[in-house]
Amino acid sequence: MDNGITFEKVSHIYQPNSPFSHLALNNASFKIEPGDFVAIIGHTGSGKSTLVQHINALLKPTTGQILIYNTKIQPETSNKNLKQLRHHVGMVFQFPENQLFEETVIKDIMFGPKNYGASDDEARTAAKEAMQMIGLESSLADKSPFDLSGGQRRRVAIAGVLAMKPEILVLDEPTAGLDPRGRTRLLDLITNLNQTQKVTIVLVTHQMEDVVDYAKKIIVMDNGRVIRFGNSQEIFGDPSWVKAHHLNLPRSAQFSLALKKNGVKFDRLALTIDQLADKVSNLVKH
Amino acid sequence: MSNIIQVKNISFKYSDQPYLFSDLSLNIEEGKWTTIIGQNGSGKSTLTRLIDGLLTLDKGKIVVDGLPVNDENINMVRNQIGIVFQNPEDQFVGATVEDDVAFGLENRQISRNVMRVKVKNSLKEVGMWDFRNRIPANLSGGQKQRVAIAGIIGLSPKIIILDEATSMLDPQGREDILGLVRKLKDEKHLTIVSITHDIDEATGADRVIVLNQGKIIKDALPEQIFSQTQFLKEIGLDIPFTEKVVEKLRKNNITVPSQYMNEEELLNWITELLSKK
Repeated sequence: MDNGITFEKVSHIYQPNSPFSHLALNNASFKIEPGDFVAIIGHTGSGKSTLVQHINALLKPTTGQILIYNTKIQPETSNKNLKQLRHHVGMVFQFPENQLFEETVIKDIMFGPKNYGASDDEARTAAKEAMQMIGLESSLADKSPFDLSGGQRRRVAIAGVLAMKPEILVLDEPTAGLDPRGRTRLLDLITNLNQTQKVTIVLVTHQMEDVVDYAKKIIVMDNGRVIRFGNSQEIFGDPSWVKAHHLNLPRSAQFSLALKKNGVKFDRLALTIDQLADKVSNLVKH
Repeated sequence: MSNIIQVKNISFKYSDQPYLFSDLSLNIEEGKWTTIIGQNGSGKSTLTRLIDGLLTLDKGKIVVDGLPVNDENINMVRNQIGIVFQNPEDQFVGATVEDDVAFGLENRQISRNVMRVKVKNSLKEVGMWDFRNRIPANLSGGQKQRVAIAGIIGLSPKIIILDEATSMLDPQGREDILGLVRKLKDEKHLTIVSITHDIDEATGADRVIVLNQGKIIKDALPEQIFSQTQFLKEIGLDIPFTEKVVEKLRKNNITVPSQYMNEEELLNWITELLSKK
């Protein structure tokens, strides 16, 4: 078995058999290849977070199954068979900084590797590497995480996941609330992990710019269903479809549409700023 | 025009850290929309907490609507200020939207009948009355912020501070909330202070203050700041969408006017340029 992620007819019902029963994930089937960079987009409440929480079996399917990292996750799979999976799938939740708890930054980052059997020395080395990767100065190692700024705390939390050297990295809105420099740094870091170490990236985001600038493939969710799986041109190239599903176009695409309305010829919508400026430059020069 | 917030020669530091503010002064004009922009750690949120008396100054003083912020006046000062925070979930206490808005009023010992009317009016003003029986946790990010704003306007403050209030929202939600705040500002003659690292949130402001490491490094009109792309990048802020397009056009050897253009202006400029061909 390879270490891709395969969902086969996966549904998830919260609080089944109760008046609050809610079908949050509805018959989802798709395959993410090893080394891919996939963005998951969709309206608030469309099931994005529910979907990604199945990737490390934090949630288990109500029906269907998931094949991932030599593990089969089915409704009846017991937690004791999931340790290996969780070692290799790193999860960065929304506001991960709220989960810091150790006395010092370095101890917090070492917690994950130690939990999976690394020695003190191994964990410390991994933690230092992770700090360097994410741009935390080594002088912060012995500070309390609670004395750091919000952006620094976010990086400590993410370093804790990186220190486990995951082969699949799932991030649920990791840049929310970060300043532009912090956002770019984080997105460049995960791109680098994807390109140099072939880490599979699954990124939940509301930022369409990040989707077109960074992701290779996109999963679109609506009302618990995976309604489209494709590259950015396949998803955003059809603006009326995008609108019908309450999604936003990247700003460059919105701008191209407005230019089109003004009579400028656009056979294909520009999705990124580079595409937009190149298209306009070409029209000016020819 | 009077200054509804006066920050006079303040100094402040967190324990074990160097001074964040030393001898900082700043006035906020009544009825204006002032955006304070800066990256994480620049002191933006600390300034909010000092203005609202959640943190105590080491030196200097802050005057809000004529009242110095101190232990004696703190309740009166807070009556004048409503703060919308980044993550509304941290602020919800009620089981329903209506309960949640009522809670803030209940805390101010407003009688039950008056309260019911106020809750209704506030929820109507933010367009959330139809959602009054919903559970706050199940709302979208933008709807949650609307409810938070309803809770604030029920208390009739003179000043609303948006403390990264739109940074968790998608672009549509952000537009929606900024539009709502603009409407409320005009109707109720509010003073708005928005604290953000999102350059787009500064678009509609009357004045933009750039804060960096506890110091004001720029204080100008939005369009004066937007075109200074090199400066914005150096301090780790984003540059506006149109400036990014312009920058790339220049790289492609297209001559573009030097002054800042908003989206509509850029759109018209490109359309005209191409129509001449």
